[in-house]
Amino acid sequence: MKIIEKFLKFIALMIYLIFALIPLYWIIITSLKNSKEIYTFPIKYLPEIISFESYRKLFAFTNFAIYFRNSLTIALIASSGALFIAMFSGYAISRYGFRFKKYILLSLFFTQMIPMFLIMVPLYEIFSQVGMIDKLITLIILYTNMMIPFSAIMAKAFFDRIPVSLEEAAEIDGCSKQQALFKIVLPLTLPGLAAIFSFSFINTWNELFLAVMFINSDAKMTIPVALNSFVSKMGVGWELMSAGIVIALLPTIIVFAFAQRYIVSGLTEGAIKG
Amino acid sequence: MRNKNSKFFLIMLIPTFIPIILLTYIPISKGFIMAFQNYNLYDLSNIHFIGFKNFQEVFSDTSFNFLHILLNTFLWVTGSLFFQFVLGFVLALLMTKPFKGRGLYSGLVFYPWALSAFAIGLIWAWMFNGQFGIINDILKKIGLIHQNIGFLSDPKYALISVIIANIWCGIPFFAIMLLAALQSVPSEIYEAAEIDGAGYFKKLFHITIPYIKPTIINTAILRTIWIMNSPEIIYAMTSGGPANSTNILATQMISKIYNFYDYGQSSAIGLVIVSTLIIYTIIYLKVTSLKEFSL
Amino acid sequence: MKKLMIVTVLISIFLLVSMLSFSASEKTTLNFLEVQTSPDRTVLLKKIISDYEELHPNIQINLISPPYEQAEQKATMMLNTNQPLDIIEVKDLQLKQFVSSKKLLNLESYLESWPGSKTLLPFTLESARVIDNTAYYIPELFYLKALFYRKDILEKLGVSDIPKTYTELFEVCKEITDPSNNQYGFAFRGKAWEYVYSDYVISTFLDDIDVNNIYKKTNGELVFKDPRYVEGLKLYLRFYHETAPKDSINWGSNEIVNGFISGTVPFLFQDPDNVVVFNKMLGEDKYGAVPLPVGPSGKAYFGINVAGLSIPSYSEHKKEAWEFIAYFLSPEVNSYFLKNYGALPIHSVTYETDPFFSTKVYQAWAYMMEHPETHVLVKYPMDSLKYVGWAKVHEADMQSLLLGKVTIEEVLNKWTEYWQ
Repeated sequence: MKIIEKFLKFIALMIYLIFALIPLYWIIITSLKNSKEIYTFPIKYLPEIISFESYRKLFAFTNFAIYFRNSLTIALIASSGALFIAMFSGYAISRYGFRFKKYILLSLFFTQMIPMFLIMVPLYEIFSQVGMIDKLITLIILYTNMMIPFSAIMAKAFFDRIPVSLEEAAEIDGCSKQQALFKIVLPLTLPGLAAIFSFSFINTWNELFLAVMFINSDAKMTIPVALNSFVSKMGVGWELMSAGIVIALLPTIIVFAFAQRYIVSGLTEGAIKG
Repeated sequence: MRNKNSKFFLIMLIPTFIPIILLTYIPISKGFIMAFQNYNLYDLSNIHFIGFKNFQEVFSDTSFNFLHILLNTFLWVTGSLFFQFVLGFVLALLMTKPFKGRGLYSGLVFYPWALSAFAIGLIWAWMFNGQFGIINDILKKIGLIHQNIGFLSDPKYALISVIIANIWCGIPFFAIMLLAALQSVPSEIYEAAEIDGAGYFKKLFHITIPYIKPTIINTAILRTIWIMNSPEIIYAMTSGGPANSTNILATQMISKIYNFYDYGQSSAIGLVIVSTLIIYTIIYLKVTSLKEFSL
Repeated sequence: MKKLMIVTVLISIFLLVSMLSFSASEKTTLNFLEVQTSPDRTVLLKKIISDYEELHPNIQINLISPPYEQAEQKATMMLNTNQPLDIIEVKDLQLKQFVSSKKLLNLESYLESWPGSKTLLPFTLESARVIDNTAYYIPELFYLKALFYRKDILEKLGVSDIPKTYTELFEVCKEITDPSNNQYGFAFRGKAWEYVYSDYVISTFLDDIDVNNIYKKTNGELVFKDPRYVEGLKLYLRFYHETAPKDSINWGSNEIVNGFISGTVPFLFQDPDNVVVFNKMLGEDKYGAVPLPVGPSGKAYFGINVAGLSIPSYSEHKKEAWEFIAYFLSPEVNSYFLKNYGALPIHSVTYETDPFFSTKVYQAWAYMMEHPETHVLVKYPMDSLKYVGWAKVHEADMQSLLLGKVTIEEVLNKWTEYWQ
């Protein structure tokens, strides 16, 4: 019985994996074809010759390396900034039982309901009045603000799982509230914080519309904008687009894989027992 | 003691709410006003208050039937959500018990979440392409079909195709969140049930699911809100076509901006979206009788 | 964990600092916004800009290249909030909008003192002055559709004569269409600016179209309910149903070009900027171009799309901006630019002296421009606010029609009402 179970489980896991990987395989293969092979008939599942021409063009034709650096900086700062700020409010909402708690949480949820396009023009006008268009710091501020509600909601939930008794015990031992927070509670929520950081990183890394509107100079461009610019009057330039997508995927996968270790391994279980 | 704490806690809330108030709440009030104005970028000299006219025009649009859009939105949200959740949950269950290579596997199977929605839309559009798409090619090679199907050009298939792309991208979200929740279920609570001889499904439905109910409810609400507000995948795959068959509220909203330069009508649609989501959240919470949010 | 946070913060600071290091310079910086962005063209523009910067060491030009899909929005937002801009590329359909909001400079005085203006095509000057008979922009290139065909594919299929009328074209396309072999005839455009294609086919059934508005007849009435228009529309629908893949209802620019390159559809209407693409992907010998076919009326009506350069009215470097524009639009630079980009140049002297633009495929366009008795240049009502959303409305209605969801009568009534 157990063997059949294991086998079925294996098949199921494989099906999920194949379903997830087919598009990735296709985009990687496309990026390794030379431009004439991309639109052939019948469809080639393996390139005749593996060619890195698309990647060469990507870095030669465009300033992709600079965009990469910009995106990385913005994503790192915005995600950590949002996490840091949200950590405090998440903790406060979790620990503080007051009447307005429900409304505070609802107001955070509410921000998620607002479509970006509804506030894009007012935001542009605000920043244009203070002369902050075409500055990377503007994107950092906007992205941090974008990720704060989600980070706070999730942080609150993770703090909920840590019993208050742990902090109280620490305080009896002589710790101040701040010390209890940083030395006891935070380490226990590390998996949660890693999850929040990785989700925020992905969202800020991939954000397109604010970046297009608020950045003008080529030197400040981000990767999603660069990818979007491979769509022209002629349509999608798959040569550059496929290579661009592959390169853009790398940091998110690294951050994601790194965070996985904390999320999947169930560190929280042990902590609660202890 | 209480007063000191209250101050402490309120101060902790400030850094969160200052940016949100300045950069979200204040702009949304302007957006709210735009919905009742004749705000067309083509001719900005003529902005004035027109009451509910924007809404009227959106509701009575003859080329883009509003009821059809509502129906599409409903199908898009429920179809995507249901399958993302179920498939994500199953994946989480499959991954709960550690196995060799689980770390690597999770990195590979969860990566769809790391792609930008725009890239996802383009890739799937190409895979579904009626001439060069690999999906048609594979289906023909297996022998399931004999002629290419216009997945994105046939209204019968278009909505399903975009939903499939959305499901693909959303499974990792549920899988990860539910997996994290499942990890925190203490093993002791199963002991009593096992002694009683409960089988797998009984344990699942009577113990596991109730234990992680808060997580389920909250990820479902969050994801619903996000799905409702994400036009990128559909826009990259079909732009809402053919003939309005994949147009949802969110895509119609951006179509009004890019194709009609009409921020007034676009904001009106935005308000419809926000109102719908608020009502939905309230009803949802009442029905699941959740007293408190917690993931 | 603390270490990790410290490391992250340090990396972020490092990256931030490395970006903030730039040096202030004595140069005048001009901001140049392009809107017809495409990766190849941007590289070309940057080269022309760097050549200019070498000739003028005190000028630095900052090229702003928003993605094509967002460019119109970006241009609008930037001009509306007076973002620092000195040179702006303007699409013909945005001209009225910018002039109405007083964001573009009157260029007449510059035009007068510019020697280059003497060699411009009369059409160039006409296009520059469409609004209020004043030059608010100077065209830098023209887009105009011709009929491309695959020489090799048609030879293989036994077609020797290239059709000159739509009836002929239809017959040929129908003959070669063989769905089982994935061979079709006509690259049908179902999505994104598809109204141009249907207009070109359908309007050839009338002979009294108003040259100032392709949707009006010379007697002032709208065209849609004219029985000849209905005839034309019926033929156009037959093109879809009988000579094009069903999928083409969703075909945009990308797909029709791919269909042509792959040989699936050997007849294609497209702009000259595709010449560069076809030369690269197919080779000059595999394809050709002829003028647009005429219809039962013996006429073909066509529009010309323009992109031009202008100076924002609030620019702080108007003189320097004009100097660059004059350089960019000079016959030599314009010709160099368009040889590599493919669209049609603006100076008559270019057509007269440069063989590139008067031979081979470019003869198709030359013919159309020189034979107004059969090929009539018409304008689209770009001034009208109704024009803004027309593309999308027409697309949705046409798609419904192709799918059989509405009748021809319903659609034509709708369109008549729209333009009323």
